[in-house]
Amino acid sequence: MKGRWARFRRWFQGIPVASWLLGGLAAATVERLVGLVVAYTLGLSGIPSFFGLSLILANPAQIPAVLVYLLVMYALPVYLVARATAAWTARLVTRMSTRTYVFVHVVLLFLVVYFWGELDSYRLLVLRLLAISIILTTSLNLVNGWMGEFSVAVAGFMSVGAYVSSIVMVWGFVDDDVFGPAVFPPTLASLAFPFALGLGGMAAAITALAVAIPSFRTRGDYLAIITLAYVFIVKSAVENMEFIGGPRGFMNQPNVAGFPVVFIWTALALWVIYNYTSSTLGKATSAVRDNESAAEAMTVDTRKVKVVAFLTHAFWSGVAGGLYAHVIGYINPSSFGIVKSAEVLAMLYLGGLSSITGSVLGAVLFQMLSEILRPLQLAKWLVIPVVLIVVMIFRPRGLLGFREMRFPFLQPRPTEEVGYAPASD
Amino acid sequence: MKRLWWILGMVLLASLLLVGCQPGPRAAYGGVIKIGHVAPLTGDIPKVGEEGKFALEMWLEDLEKAGGLEVGGVTYRIEVIHEDNESKAESSAAAATKLIAEDKVLAIIGPYASKQAIPTGEVADRNKTPMISPWSTNPRTTKGRPFVFRAAFLDDFQGFVLAKFMQEEFGAQKIAILYDVASDYPKGLAEFVKQSAEELGMEVVAFESFTTKDRDFSAQLTKIINSDAEILFTPQYYDEVPLIVKQAHELGWTKPIVGSDSWGSPELMNLCGDDCVGSFFSTHWAVAGAKGAAKEFIDRFQSKYGYAPGDVAALAWDSAHLLQKAIQDCGKLTGNLEEDRQCIRDALANISEYEGITGKMRFNAEGDPVKCAIIVRINENYDFEFYKQVCP
Repeated sequence: MKGRWARFRRWFQGIPVASWLLGGLAAATVERLVGLVVAYTLGLSGIPSFFGLSLILANPAQIPAVLVYLLVMYALPVYLVARATAAWTARLVTRMSTRTYVFVHVVLLFLVVYFWGELDSYRLLVLRLLAISIILTTSLNLVNGWMGEFSVAVAGFMSVGAYVSSIVMVWGFVDDDVFGPAVFPPTLASLAFPFALGLGGMAAAITALAVAIPSFRTRGDYLAIITLAYVFIVKSAVENMEFIGGPRGFMNQPNVAGFPVVFIWTALALWVIYNYTSSTLGKATSAVRDNESAAEAMTVDTRKVKVVAFLTHAFWSGVAGGLYAHVIGYINPSSFGIVKSAEVLAMLYLGGLSSITGSVLGAVLFQMLSEILRPLQLAKWLVIPVVLIVVMIFRPRGLLGFREMRFPFLQPRPTEEVGYAPASD
Repeated sequence: MKRLWWILGMVLLASLLLVGCQPGPRAAYGGVIKIGHVAPLTGDIPKVGEEGKFALEMWLEDLEKAGGLEVGGVTYRIEVIHEDNESKAESSAAAATKLIAEDKVLAIIGPYASKQAIPTGEVADRNKTPMISPWSTNPRTTKGRPFVFRAAFLDDFQGFVLAKFMQEEFGAQKIAILYDVASDYPKGLAEFVKQSAEELGMEVVAFESFTTKDRDFSAQLTKIINSDAEILFTPQYYDEVPLIVKQAHELGWTKPIVGSDSWGSPELMNLCGDDCVGSFFSTHWAVAGAKGAAKEFIDRFQSKYGYAPGDVAALAWDSAHLLQKAIQDCGKLTGNLEEDRQCIRDALANISEYEGITGKMRFNAEGDPVKCAIIVRINENYDFEFYKQVCP
């Protein structure tokens, strides 16, 4: 078993990531050109949205057709292109500085996902919701993972961010019944969107300060209770604000949150949070988690550290809320109830604490499961909890708790043993 | 590695052979018309989703018995794809997008509650796919969206009817209202009733609120009892109404209690019992005293699923038949999704009159139905008995 795995790794290692991504780009292009024709010839009703899994669940007779589709559309082009470009990208990649390396890969990843997703509006919507979940999970990880406290306020922060950014955008760029005609020309909406999101995030952070000041004077479970109260307070407050629709919700958000925008914000959030956790401040946060008194003795200003982590979490949750509002185009206070917080917590603990790759993995798994298992209808909510329970039994710290997923075989590592020659069997 | 290639090759060959045996799509949509159904099968109100699903299953049964739906000389089989929206806005939008993009449905029935119907209507309208929400009563669901229709009448109309009924039936001058401030529908209706009542010269002496999942209403009810209100109006759902009514009676309220269409669930009387007897509510639909097609529908539903259908089932049934009529009015399906969806939308908008089990209806320019409301009385047999019809 070990030998086979090593062989697979070596085979995989033979090709740099950039080539795999180029392969993905090729597959997306092929699908764009002939996907529909191939799907029809195979007897499918159209291009399968998410690798045909929901088609298989809906009708197992489609398994062969879906397999053929996956092989022809994805596996073959990816493998062929990756293998063909391996030598060339390897040379290119090894000459890059780390910064260019990361940048090039992020851009390639974006192109692959966007090219693939844009073919189908369902893919695009799910990808955007997925990206929002990634921001939420990663930012919550700062508090629940690195800081070791237990906060459930994420839905409340989302709500504040969603409402503030929506109000700014609707007041500024939309002719609305409540806020009157647009103040600025609607064509500028996309340009102003980042500022609106920033304002939303900031508003969330300011309300978080009100939670942070009293709750970080105490220790233990108080934060959980206070943040729970916070979620209810925000919900009730919004419900009683007539000018933003109260329980009837708030709509007319301009359509400015396309996939590229959401992707950029997600990349930004991951970058900021990664840098945060690897900075001195981040190390201090982990020190507070491990032993607050010891950290204090080592000159860590524990209160400041806690407040900064909590506010960062609030800011990014607020930004995610703003993105959510503009992706869905309608918000309602009851969308940001305790259930939403529980959902993000489930993603977080599934993926694992104190781990950025874990948060991403948890968000992707949870969100994709709940989309792909749609054909199961009611049984879906039996399958997902069972998955969560199984994970908690076999990996009590989550899939990637307290460690990052390393991609040794994905790094540009021109060693003698492996080399970047095309893999041979 | 070589072995792996062999296996892959074999799989490819085998699947190609298998695929060759499957019939490919030839006629328009391969002779199958797909309709999406977005419903809350899980979440806060699973009963609503279930009733809708059952009604559509009965519709399919009828079609199957008839051998399919004939459109322009070609017989099609109808397939309904049920999607659970978990009672959540984003899940509802995703489900509708999936139905439109992946399953390529011709039209969508659902969602039911307004907080899901509003964002889902946006998805449907943007993708130019006709959608009929059977149960949503928020004006924004259809407003400015040519592809979105509904089968239920609107809250402003219902509010007016209720206020008028309270005045004419009881000669009431002073009314009390108790409603959930945190839920869209009760709040909206409470405000519309208040507005209409004041316009009709009545006085709202108590306008009391609570929030969702509150279970104790004694503070609000004491206030209401101490005011000199002659009628209590409460536009709540079947899980809250029994609590409100029972607590009101325990605190000494003996005057009439009036509700709205949200009362109309078969569950209500299981929870409420004798306390609710003698109350009135406005609705789309009355089980007791029904005649003709409605009676037939009720009997069939009752014998098949073991309980009498509520307004959700009746409205879902009517939505399905409106859609069926629109597809037939279309004359011919081209096989081009965009054209056919447009054609169905136009046909829906042009339906001149449809005799449904919830009354005669047609759509106005906004996609809202023009129809009558029914007032029912809860009788001693725990039935919702037809009492009066009120038309705009």
